[in-house]
Amino acid sequence: MMFLSLRYLLARKKQSLLIIVGIMIGTAAYVGISGMMLGFQTVLLDQLVNNDAHIRISAREDLLTSETMGSFPTASHVFWDIPPSGMKDSAKIEYPIGWYQKLNNDPQVLAYSPQVNLNVIFRRGTLSRSGRLIGSDPRLQERVTNIQKYMVIGKFSDMGQTGSRIIIGKALMESLGARPSETLFLTSGSGAPKPFKIVAIFSTGVRNIDESTAFTSLSDAQNLRGSGSEITDIAVKVEDPYNVSEITSSWKLSSREKILSWQEISASILSVFKTQDIVRNSMTISIIVVAGFGIYNILSILVTQKRRDIAILRSMGYLPKDIVSVFFNQGIILGLIGGLVGLFVGHLICRFVGTIEIAPGRMGSDSGHMTISYDVIIYVKAFAIAMLSSVFSSIWPSLEAKKLEPMDIIRSGGQ
Amino acid sequence: MIKAQGLIKKFPPNDFVVIKGIDMTIKDGDFISLMGRSGSGKSTLLYLLSTLDRSFEGKVHIDNRDVHQMDVKEVHALRNQQIGFVFQFHYLINELTVLENVLLPARKAGRMEEALPFARELLSIVGLDSIAHKPSSSLSGGENQRVAIARALIMKPKYIFADEPTGNLDSINGNVIFNLFKKFNKDFGTTIVYVTHDQEFGKLAHTQIKLADGLITTN
Repeated sequence: MMFLSLRYLLARKKQSLLIIVGIMIGTAAYVGISGMMLGFQTVLLDQLVNNDAHIRISAREDLLTSETMGSFPTASHVFWDIPPSGMKDSAKIEYPIGWYQKLNNDPQVLAYSPQVNLNVIFRRGTLSRSGRLIGSDPRLQERVTNIQKYMVIGKFSDMGQTGSRIIIGKALMESLGARPSETLFLTSGSGAPKPFKIVAIFSTGVRNIDESTAFTSLSDAQNLRGSGSEITDIAVKVEDPYNVSEITSSWKLSSREKILSWQEISASILSVFKTQDIVRNSMTISIIVVAGFGIYNILSILVTQKRRDIAILRSMGYLPKDIVSVFFNQGIILGLIGGLVGLFVGHLICRFVGTIEIAPGRMGSDSGHMTISYDVIIYVKAFAIAMLSSVFSSIWPSLEAKKLEPMDIIRSGGQ
Repeated sequence: MIKAQGLIKKFPPNDFVVIKGIDMTIKDGDFISLMGRSGSGKSTLLYLLSTLDRSFEGKVHIDNRDVHQMDVKEVHALRNQQIGFVFQFHYLINELTVLENVLLPARKAGRMEEALPFARELLSIVGLDSIAHKPSSSLSGGENQRVAIARALIMKPKYIFADEPTGNLDSINGNVIFNLFKKFNKDFGTTIVYVTHDQEFGKLAHTQIKLADGLITTN
């Protein structure tokens, strides 16, 4: 029946072309927008997953109460004049050795890095900026995150195991007017400022990290904090970063520490991704549904116009299912051509947008160009949406054609 | 052979009876005209005998096969292989050429290649071989009807049913059509049953059946 379907389509070139253009625009829009959005999301997701730990084990920051300060069980007449309040001044991982053993024995854990995280003030001359100092063992830290990838001057290992050396975000350094090899003074709020020499610079492209973060060795951070060998965090890298929720759930059962997956830490960004996906899908599906209505209208009109043809075909022995095929095939051909051309045009749009130059670090780009996703699933989904729309919009008029009885048409003189 | 027994046809909504109990037999190779006034039931009888309308009371046997006992596939296969139709409104498919229209039944049967030489022969017989590749939408009424006859014959059917085949034609074209019917009846042994209100054309048949008020009055 394909022969007849093609002939009907070719006899209405203008209508057929308009429908193909409609489906093509919808499919191309899906491919283009998805390519851009998912390209951006992929790079950003890569940053979210790999710039920091997959799982962060942090010290609990409990509020002080009378009970947490201990009690005097034999002295029932002793009372607090002013009860203790506020947070503990030195949050720490209570039993890090136990964690190290647990992490060493867990097959899903690829690497971990004990850290001291503290809020500090960076001072250069009269200029000062607040920020975060991360103290860690550089060899372990490099295994947990991909920080080395973002080094613009020097290496991450340049900070060594001690020696008051820091690796500083590029934006932070610029805001302080500092240069590599210069000395900054850092204070954690208590104690005198201590000098740290800038040995390397990093730039992740994420502004709030680059303008507020610095790395130093674990021992130097502990010294600045004045809390001995205590650690505040353990950054963990696991084998499957997209399956961290199961791991964190099981760890939370046996620990009092705060355990957060990267997904929980980045929940707000991930929810933006979801919103983007909903908008992207809704918009492109709307376009294709409109094109689908076009197919429906054209086929419905065609079925009415071709009542005589239906009658004669049935009288010649064509089965009702053949009549369905004549009209259904037309919708499928339109969807197929529109979908395929749309994939090609969408791909061209992606290729073109991929050449647009943008500032490095923006829109998730490392190369100075828009990052575009050419994931095959985008093309499969776009084509599937085009075809589904065509199938649904073709099936109803085709079934209506099947219901027409040749005798009714002939008795009405083919009208 | 087609045999009808106790044929009754009612039309909804009030069960208006158009055919009121007809018994008749159509022998192979016969050339039959069905005549009568408008509303006498002649077209209705034609469609009952030709399987296009299977909603009736009584029995119709085509080559000893009860039409009511056939399933949809069997009926459509019978129409495709054994029955050809010619209607007053020729019902060609405008999007196809003359030759493609003639080959439509063969296309359904999957016998295009073997039917092609016969299609050309038929077009030659009906005098249209020179316009075989023209779109059917460009033909005159008489040419259209000749193409419809060629199409009805392409599968070398045993029976041809024609409903007012000359109804929309002038007398010259009408004569051409009847001469073709006679030729096919004689040369191929095709059984031809046609409805006409034209007395002259009706008299050309070997067997003339006249209907009035849903009953056969003269046979």
